Amino acid sequence: MAFPSRKAAVVGVYLTEQGRGLPRTAWSLELEAIKGALDDAGLRPDQVDGLIPMAYVTPLNLHMAWTEQLGGKPITYLDVGSGAGAVAKAAAAIDAGLCKVCVIYFGNANNGNGPGAQKRHDKAPRVDDWDYMVHGAYMSVWYAMWTRAYMHQFNVRQEDLAEYSVIARYHATLNPASIMGKRGEITVDDVMNSRPIADPLHLLECPLDNDGGYAIVVAAEDIARDCKKKPIWVLGGAEATYTDSYRTITSPWISNEGAAVRRVGEMAFGNSGVTHDDIDVAGLYDCFPVTVARDLEELGFCKLGEGADYIKAGHLRLGGKMPSNTDGGLLSHSHNGNPSGMHTIEVVKQLRGECGERQVPDAKIGLTLAQGWAVHGLAGVAIMAAD
Amino acid sequence: MSEPYLRPLPAKSPGTEPFWEAAAEHRLVIPKCQNCGDWNWIPYPGCRTCLSEDQVWTPASGYGTLMTWSIVSRGPPGFPSPYVTALVELDERPRSMVMLGNIVDTPHEDLKVGMRMQVVFEDIADEDISIWRFKAA
Repeated sequence: MAFPSRKAAVVGVYLTEQGRGLPRTAWSLELEAIKGALDDAGLRPDQVDGLIPMAYVTPLNLHMAWTEQLGGKPITYLDVGSGAGAVAKAAAAIDAGLCKVCVIYFGNANNGNGPGAQKRHDKAPRVDDWDYMVHGAYMSVWYAMWTRAYMHQFNVRQEDLAEYSVIARYHATLNPASIMGKRGEITVDDVMNSRPIADPLHLLECPLDNDGGYAIVVAAEDIARDCKKKPIWVLGGAEATYTDSYRTITSPWISNEGAAVRRVGEMAFGNSGVTHDDIDVAGLYDCFPVTVARDLEELGFCKLGEGADYIKAGHLRLGGKMPSNTDGGLLSHSHNGNPSGMHTIEVVKQLRGECGERQVPDAKIGLTLAQGWAVHGLAGVAIMAAD
Repeated sequence: MSEPYLRPLPAKSPGTEPFWEAAAEHRLVIPKCQNCGDWNWIPYPGCRTCLSEDQVWTPASGYGTLMTWSIVSRGPPGFPSPYVTALVELDERPRSMVMLGNIVDTPHEDLKVGMRMQVVFEDIADEDISIWRFKAA
């Protein structure tokens, strides 16, 4: 059975304020985001019958609490996942008649990912036996190890990967909502001279660690045509998981570890009927520069080991072949804990033509890639188009 | 008097006792499947190759090669700065097993991808546990 292309559309998106130390709760940010995204679509909360929180571990009572909070009627489609993958699954569920209006949402307040957010203890805390935090392997450390392995295997210069940080900051300067845009543009030298975090990575190669919420509304074709904004049709997509949340690593790490991204890329290009050259604008998961390089390789935009060259050639920059992460991405716009839906929101805005100074002219078809937890441990792709 | 050890420590959850008992004796044991003979790291209830639950904690060589590492300047509370976190591919086969751990007693400038490493254990002061580390073999 084929993926139901153009049977469902993203009809509403919303970002709350993104920033450090917001005086909010996660629930409050989520509620604002859900209400905002429904309002963006011109839909009512009691029309929601599908829910996908952006969480990997979600107790069923979370879904049930939101069912009651939204106040209308039974929720008939419940799921978890990553942003772009959730969009694809919502479209498939809608086509199967399991729901008509599905809300994908996330909010985070005062619960950061980085070492600064870890509590100081009077006694060593006990964690799962094989937990990576026993060895101090928080996110930047994992990606530092990945960056070193990648540079070694493909003889890649760190300065070339750092070009991604420069592009992301440039895009952020054109996005008034971004956290870092106000600080202005940066150079590769700025990146390489920034504070060391986890060698070989410096501060400006690491993502932000802030609060914020967002929501995405996917609706059935008949509803989508009557919404306030023009529908952004879901053409195809897929989601996959591969390794066990940073606790296991395969060898060879590079190439094999990207199996989740490669698989969902092949599936999404296949079930959407779209080719690489058709993509006008992209949102590529970008928690660190090496992630973007590997995204490009695994999705087939370039060959293995050539991701840094692709970045350096400027293809991702506004005006380039495939402008990507035009909001400033996770390095310069916002990394709010689980930002896996952020890339989808920016691509939807691009396809609607709402991006002002950073608008990609005539953007018709967009691709978004979400990743979560392990490097390529959970990946999702959605390919979307304006009418 | 030394600083108290405030980094996260494994909970010693039920079923892992043989691993931590061996660690206390500075020996590395890893589940080996009695059905197909494959090793499994991290430990799972069933073998990854054949899904058999008939796995026995079996002494491993404790040697491997360095895949990659990071010298961490900005660590969570309780970690000394800098510390080194690494991935080491153990010698056991056929399926490769990659272990995460900290490198100790090895000059940072000596670290090279592919270098020989060995597993060592650190008895944690005032705690009931010994943690594996790596050092240059």
